[in-house]
Amino acid sequence: MKGKPLKKGDVILIGIVLIAALAFIVPRYFFDKDSEKNHIENRVVQIEIDGKPYKTLPLTLEEQTYTVKTDKGFNEIRIHDGGVEMIDADCPDRLCLGFGFVTRPGQQIVCLPHRVAVFIEDHSGQEDEVDDVVG
Amino acid sequence: MTSLAEESLLLKKTVILAIFSAVAVVLSLVESMIPLGSFMVPGAKLGLANIMILTCLYFLNGRDTFLLVMLKTLLSAMILGTFSMFLFSLFGAMLSFVVMYGLMKISGKRLSLIGISVAGGIAHNIGQLAAAGIVIDSLNIFYYLPVLMIAGVATGIVVGIAVRYLTNALGHMKMFAAFKPDLY
Repeated sequence: MKGKPLKKGDVILIGIVLIAALAFIVPRYFFDKDSEKNHIENRVVQIEIDGKPYKTLPLTLEEQTYTVKTDKGFNEIRIHDGGVEMIDADCPDRLCLGFGFVTRPGQQIVCLPHRVAVFIEDHSGQEDEVDDVVG
Repeated sequence: MTSLAEESLLLKKTVILAIFSAVAVVLSLVESMIPLGSFMVPGAKLGLANIMILTCLYFLNGRDTFLLVMLKTLLSAMILGTFSMFLFSLFGAMLSFVVMYGLMKISGKRLSLIGISVAGGIAHNIGQLAAAGIVIDSLNIFYYLPVLMIAGVATGIVVGIAVRYLTNALGHMKMFAAFKPDLY
């Protein structure tokens, strides 16, 4: 086999990709440290179907389950300990079950065959504004 | 009028494409049995079929490889999934093909097959996320892009090394002698 397996161009390309990816990932963990579970009251679990809001549930420490039923099938989600996970679904690929337990705002669980998206939203910013107006 | 030599070249090309598509479909099937998503990110794939696509780009031209990508995507979607899944993988596969083809053309010899495979793997992930974003009508799904990029680098390197060995081995075969590229 001719040549070195990795050329300079490869190293630069891989380096840029890794740095770009880490630049996005690392801040997420830093911000999460500030707002541990004490900010749960400001967060909600938003369920969307076909990109349209379907249901909003409070993010709680207590366990609660909710089943999304559409003509395509069902998706069962469980909210507990300040996070949410998909526990059952009858979609063909069942990829949505692989998203695991999701706790951070912006993270989401998607079931593409059913067009269902479940994500955590943070309303703390908006509520601060309301407080400012009242105060 | 096509000469005998041209005809024989065309025949070889057809046979190579048929074999490559068959292998690519088998690799897609094998890949679907490996549940990578459960311990990484859903949607993360090894991209094993990319081995055949990149090898095809190496020996044949862009038009033939385009045909291979279409065949592989269509066949594996027919065997594995539904029409909507076909659209997702087509979106990813096309973007990946365009990026790899473009890089092979413009990068000259600055990128090896490993670098091109890494770029193709990441393009595949971006294409699939974009298709998913369109379907659920939200760009939030790009939250998973950085993790998928890192996964793409890892799988891209593995695929690139496999292509390196494969092209080297196939290059010694008589059938591929006519297609041996001067590039790389």
